[in-house]
Amino acid sequence: MVKEFFISLLHYFVDITTAVLIAAAIYLTVSGQQMESVILWQILLSGFITALPTAILLCLDTRSAKLSMILWFTHFLLIFVITLLLLKMFGWCRITPLSAFLTFLAVVFIYLFTCSVHYLVDRKHTTLMNEQLKKRYAGTEKAQKENT
Amino acid sequence: MRIIIETPQPNDEDVVIVRCASPDQRLISMLLSYQTANTELTGYLDDKIVRLNYQDVFYFEANENRVFAYYHSDVYEVKYKLYELEELFMPLDFVRCSKSMIVNMEKIEYLSPLFSGKLEAHLKNGEKVVISRQYVHTLKVRLGIEEVD
Repeated sequence: MVKEFFISLLHYFVDITTAVLIAAAIYLTVSGQQMESVILWQILLSGFITALPTAILLCLDTRSAKLSMILWFTHFLLIFVITLLLLKMFGWCRITPLSAFLTFLAVVFIYLFTCSVHYLVDRKHTTLMNEQLKKRYAGTEKAQKENT
Repeated sequence: MRIIIETPQPNDEDVVIVRCASPDQRLISMLLSYQTANTELTGYLDDKIVRLNYQDVFYFEANENRVFAYYHSDVYEVKYKLYELEELFMPLDFVRCSKSMIVNMEKIEYLSPLFSGKLEAHLKNGEKVVISRQYVHTLKVRLGIEEVD
């Protein structure tokens, strides 16, 4: 459990930081703003802080699909609020309805980015697992058919 | 290593022959656990008592302190704890897929990814079983695509 938590934390930290970096690069290029080098540390810290609740959530083994949906929705809202607080704390911009809306879009982008990356990795793994399943049971099924 | 399974002549006894240069501990303990495993199960359905064949069980599920064996369409109660079934059937093709479920790998048609690292096992009877994130690694190890920690 502890090992899994740290693996998830590391994976999500890397994915979220990459997505935040892309979002920041797009924003800085479009707005033409210049930022100090301290922003790199701030991006790393924000990646870590937002990866923490994600890793905790993944440790919870929920059986009900409804509860799982509620937890993920709460998680999304939590990430959004944390991001707003970080924006204010780091002084990246002032909190206005427009900046809150743009932050919401950025969180949606980061969320979709990390989910897609993990889904694609899982899909690759399940393809491998399905191949192994086929190999493993092809012989058994053939023997059963020959017997009948 | 090749695995060859031959069907014996009618009335012939089942025999396992291992041809290898030096049998390691893993192989010997696997063969011993197979030989000593008590795989006889008794299932209860209403007032019926049935001898169950573990190979026909799709999965075992614990629900409110009772454990059930799911066949293609029937469900039988078994008088075992889930951890006991796990110990009993681990050398065979059963694998823990969540806190409350053990699935027969042979009954898995295919796997598909779900949101948040879980997998969905599509069984041969059309049912779907969720494999929790915590147990995905065990399944990968059993399928030989990841190593034991």
